[in-house]
Amino acid sequence: MIVEIGHFALVLALATAIIVSVLPVIGVHRRDASMMAVATTGSLVMFGLVALSFAALTWAYVVSDFSVKNVWENSHSLMPLIYKYSGVWGNHEGSMMLWLLILVFFSMLVAVFGRNIPETLKANVLAVQAWISLAFLLFILLTSNPFLRLDPAPAEGQDLNPILQDFGLAIHPPLLYLGYVGFSVCFSFAVAALMEGRIDAAWARWVRPWTLAAWTFLTAGIAMGSYWAYYELGWGGWWFWDPVENASFMPWLAGTALLHSALVMEKREALKIWTVLLAIMTFSLSLLGTFLVRSGVLTSVHAFATDPSRGIFILCILAIFIGGAFMLFAWRAPTLKAGGLFAPISREGSLVLNNLILTVSTATVLTGTLYPLVLETLTGEKISVGAPFFNMTFGLLMLPLLIAVPLGPMLAWKRADLYGALQRLWVFAGLALLLGLLLWYMQNGGPVLAIFGLAIGCWGMLGAIADLWYRGNFGKLPVMTSLRRLKGLPRSAWGTAFAHFGLGVTVVGIVAASAFSTEHVVEMKQGQTADAGGYSLTFDGFREAVGPNYTEERGHFTVRSGGAVVSDVWSSKRLYTARRMPTTEAGILTFGLSQLYVSLGDPMDGGGIVVRIWWKPMILCIWGGCLIMMVGGFVSLSDRRLRVGAPSRKAKPVKAVMEPAE
Amino acid sequence: MILWILLALMTAIVAAALLYPLYRRPEALAPDNAGEIEVYRDQMKELDRDRAGGLISAEEAEYARAEIGRRLLAAAGKENVDAADAAKASGLRRMAIGIVTVAPPAIGLCLYIMLGSPGLPDQPLEARLANPGNDMSLLVAKAERHLAQNPNDGSGWDILAPIYFRTARLGDAELAYRNAIRLIGPSAARLSGLGETLVVANDGIVTEDARSAFEEAVRLEPGDVRARFYVGVAQEQAGKAADAKATFEEIAKASPRDAPWMGLINEHIAKNGGTVAAPAAPPSLGAPSADDVAAAQDMSQGDRQDMIRGMVDSLASKLEADPNNIEGWLRLVRSYMVLGDRDKAEAALKTGLEHFSADGSEGRQLVALAREIGLSAEGAANPGATPKMGVTQ
Amino acid sequence: MTRKQKRLAVIAGGMSFIIIAVFLVMFAFSQSVAYFFMPGDLATANLQPGTRIRLGGLVEDGSVKRGQGSTVSFAVTDGKATVPVSYTGILPDLFREGQGVVTEGSFDAATHAFVADSVLAKHDENYMPKEVADRLKKDGVWEDGTGKGMAPAKDGEGDKAGAKSGQVVGSTTP
Repeated sequence: MIVEIGHFALVLALATAIIVSVLPVIGVHRRDASMMAVATTGSLVMFGLVALSFAALTWAYVVSDFSVKNVWENSHSLMPLIYKYSGVWGNHEGSMMLWLLILVFFSMLVAVFGRNIPETLKANVLAVQAWISLAFLLFILLTSNPFLRLDPAPAEGQDLNPILQDFGLAIHPPLLYLGYVGFSVCFSFAVAALMEGRIDAAWARWVRPWTLAAWTFLTAGIAMGSYWAYYELGWGGWWFWDPVENASFMPWLAGTALLHSALVMEKREALKIWTVLLAIMTFSLSLLGTFLVRSGVLTSVHAFATDPSRGIFILCILAIFIGGAFMLFAWRAPTLKAGGLFAPISREGSLVLNNLILTVSTATVLTGTLYPLVLETLTGEKISVGAPFFNMTFGLLMLPLLIAVPLGPMLAWKRADLYGALQRLWVFAGLALLLGLLLWYMQNGGPVLAIFGLAIGCWGMLGAIADLWYRGNFGKLPVMTSLRRLKGLPRSAWGTAFAHFGLGVTVVGIVAASAFSTEHVVEMKQGQTADAGGYSLTFDGFREAVGPNYTEERGHFTVRSGGAVVSDVWSSKRLYTARRMPTTEAGILTFGLSQLYVSLGDPMDGGGIVVRIWWKPMILCIWGGCLIMMVGGFVSLSDRRLRVGAPSRKAKPVKAVMEPAE
Repeated sequence: MILWILLALMTAIVAAALLYPLYRRPEALAPDNAGEIEVYRDQMKELDRDRAGGLISAEEAEYARAEIGRRLLAAAGKENVDAADAAKASGLRRMAIGIVTVAPPAIGLCLYIMLGSPGLPDQPLEARLANPGNDMSLLVAKAERHLAQNPNDGSGWDILAPIYFRTARLGDAELAYRNAIRLIGPSAARLSGLGETLVVANDGIVTEDARSAFEEAVRLEPGDVRARFYVGVAQEQAGKAADAKATFEEIAKASPRDAPWMGLINEHIAKNGGTVAAPAAPPSLGAPSADDVAAAQDMSQGDRQDMIRGMVDSLASKLEADPNNIEGWLRLVRSYMVLGDRDKAEAALKTGLEHFSADGSEGRQLVALAREIGLSAEGAANPGATPKMGVTQ
Repeated sequence: MTRKQKRLAVIAGGMSFIIIAVFLVMFAFSQSVAYFFMPGDLATANLQPGTRIRLGGLVEDGSVKRGQGSTVSFAVTDGKATVPVSYTGILPDLFREGQGVVTEGSFDAATHAFVADSVLAKHDENYMPKEVADRLKKDGVWEDGTGKGMAPAKDGEGDKAGAKSGQVVGSTTP
């Protein structure tokens, strides 16, 4: 009965979505406050219904109700409890449910926390959110219904894909979706503003917290996914430029650009049209990602078996929303007034540079991801665009941005008069360093590129510190005064510093892990020793072990440094019994920021086994940096300025307000 | 019934929640520009703070102040459109109230009746295991869970092993036999069961492992015909015709004349150059004993296929005469699948379900088997008799 | 600089960045894109040794040989032709004889053998690399829905494969 109640709640949510899609828009048109208010209550009701439905599905998973087809296909009664929970979104139907849940969750947040937003704008935003919810509700109910039943019920489920039975995967999708779907709010704000035909600095202020929240979660989600791929797939790689990874990375790039351009719009009312376009593009990329992943057009870990009807359905959603938004944009954008002026060298200028580079890079990634699909459709030729392409294009294009990041926050708005001798000197110092390295490279051919990359990473980190240093006016004022000044800095300034510092840390990690990591593939027999990264590993042999739903052969290694035992590590090959599917569980040993990564290969004749050992120096910086970026996002989100008090219901005398301007 | 009451209650709550703002006395709209003005005032305050903190220069502050001031003026100058007057609104609102009252029950009910399975109760596994009835797969699942928690329960493995073998889960069967032997010691039945599992898993070849299991079984219980027969087959496969003949002849001597396996034994004796003492009893067709299967493995691939086909056909005709044999139907469906004859398997399933309603416990076994081996039971099941299956296959 | 000049400078700067990006993309495509081939296509493909390609097909039964250390050799076939492949490293967990595989690498000029530097196998037991599946289906070597194809599954596993093929067996997320 619980399952059926969940099913019915989902159907009711559809009915509610239809009402919320229509009534508030009419209300705005006819200036009827009651009908606009339906948007707020409706959004709350929708969240309640979808949450109830999701809870019912989760319950079915937890109690292993195999009369639910979705549970039977993706669960197993002996699976550890946490994977019964995560199994809910470890499959197509369930992950679409999660998508929907987060979508209505954000609608609910806008309904509850959007008190400072004008009634009309809020009603329109919530209506647009309801359109998106409606589309996905229809998609779920008609093509991917998780509540279909089996009768009689089978006695045992088919188990969750073993590589998904992992803690990282349990939390990766929710985080990622919080980011992915969070951008829907920006999209709805953009479309609502276009519908009303007015966009100004205040709009940017209202959108910014949502962008920031979505961006922060997306950062966390991508980092989590990358770390999962790193330790679970057993290939030692942390980013594969897999189309699905790109699908989550593109909204992140566009979202980062949006975050920065919204800043310009809020402060200077410039870049209005561009910001609105970016808001639309960012969510369009999220939708495109959903389409690519869910339609089975792409093959990857994430692709579920292809079902053409699903693909076509999502393609329609994609076409309607993206096409509709862009048409609305083309119709309304020319009526928007251009905003404030600024000199090329100014804070605005640097943010424009940021946007230029980020969008061009996004376009590059998009090209690389879609080109094989387009080519196959047009000519039937099959090609693969792999890491070399992305490293060459994306890597090179991002370079100037990484160099410019520390300079941006130091520039003044409008016209950077302080862009004085000092900063010019810095640039020249940088150029000199570059030239010097280039010369050294021509002479020695050494790892100069890596040094250069590390330097850029450190430049990012130092730049963030320098920003705080100058803001606190350290060196000129007594230390205590400076510290007090730092304390008084707006949270968003801290957020910026954190995020930029984190970016630098990630760059250092990426460069170090790519340039200095070493890989050894050796055949080892019991008692043999191999060296990696200054440590020596002795293979002590195998032990059999049985997990709740798998059996494994665990290889034990003793790690020594200079003859003394430092640690030991287990690496194993598992066989998941229900699906008869083998997986490799890498053994990972952390030394400071660096890691030793041991992965088992095939057994050889004669009792040996192929062992792959990587030494990954400073690799934890990659995710550590993302974590710092995330902290930056949250710090910035806690800025009190984003919580401007709600306007009182009665109009204030306008005259009084105008006084400060004169 | 309770379900329907709850669903009606949910619908009512949703409709009521949506109607609430429509019935509430309409509040005056806050002026459109109020929010904007608030934001700009805040920006102004922030500017003052920055200036006071010395974060920006006086000149910059002045510029910014002028700019924000201009925005404030613009926002304040925006015209506020008045709210709709009550007369105009009431007609519209009646329509809205109508929609909100009708849509949830109408859309909700229509879609739910189309998609849902209101007649199906929840079936948490724990509850089903507590009361498994005679659903074979549930009983197996229950035993499996018991063994997962008590992996040292040898007799549990012993019970499960032959069931695994019969349901063609050979890997599991081998593991179960080995566990049983390890935990409660070898017996002839267990050893020859293990050996037979290994033989079937290896396409009829009596491997070294299997042979030693059979020999051990014979040592423990010299009268075990099955083990002795396989020892003979092993000798035969190893090319030791004389030894094989001796083994088979010994079996023949020790067995009663009319033992069902005599035909098979005599065949083997003949094959290995011996003479058959007496006319063979007809092999029991239709229910291929393990020995028959083993015999099939000595033939060429084609012959073997023919022989299996012959046995399956005889089973089919037997069932035609006496359809009330659920075991037979189950075996027939499975046999057709093993032979790769999907259509016949489906047909057999359908006929079987005509004799056993899909609701009954026997019918359920058939449906469960069909699902297990990937057959569509939907067309086969009598749609009127079964609750609607919301499954598309 | 006048305001107009400033704007021009900004636009020119932006445009030149975009142009650089376009050239970079085109250059990278010419350098690093690997075409997909099946063994049967190679006769007509006229490939230069050293050109990076993706080679897909089924791993021929009985062809996997472990050589020195971690080098493995196997043959990839599409029913029409067979190409020997050598690979040094660890094979994916689901690499099996008779199953679909995609390898990336190039033909060695001296030995004419295909030297792969990456081997991709399916991610779960029902997954067949899409390129391979498309082509094999077209050529009728492999059938969707039976899950069997060139290497019929055996005994109990056969039942299982039969039961599960053609079903949605999932994984996750974008």
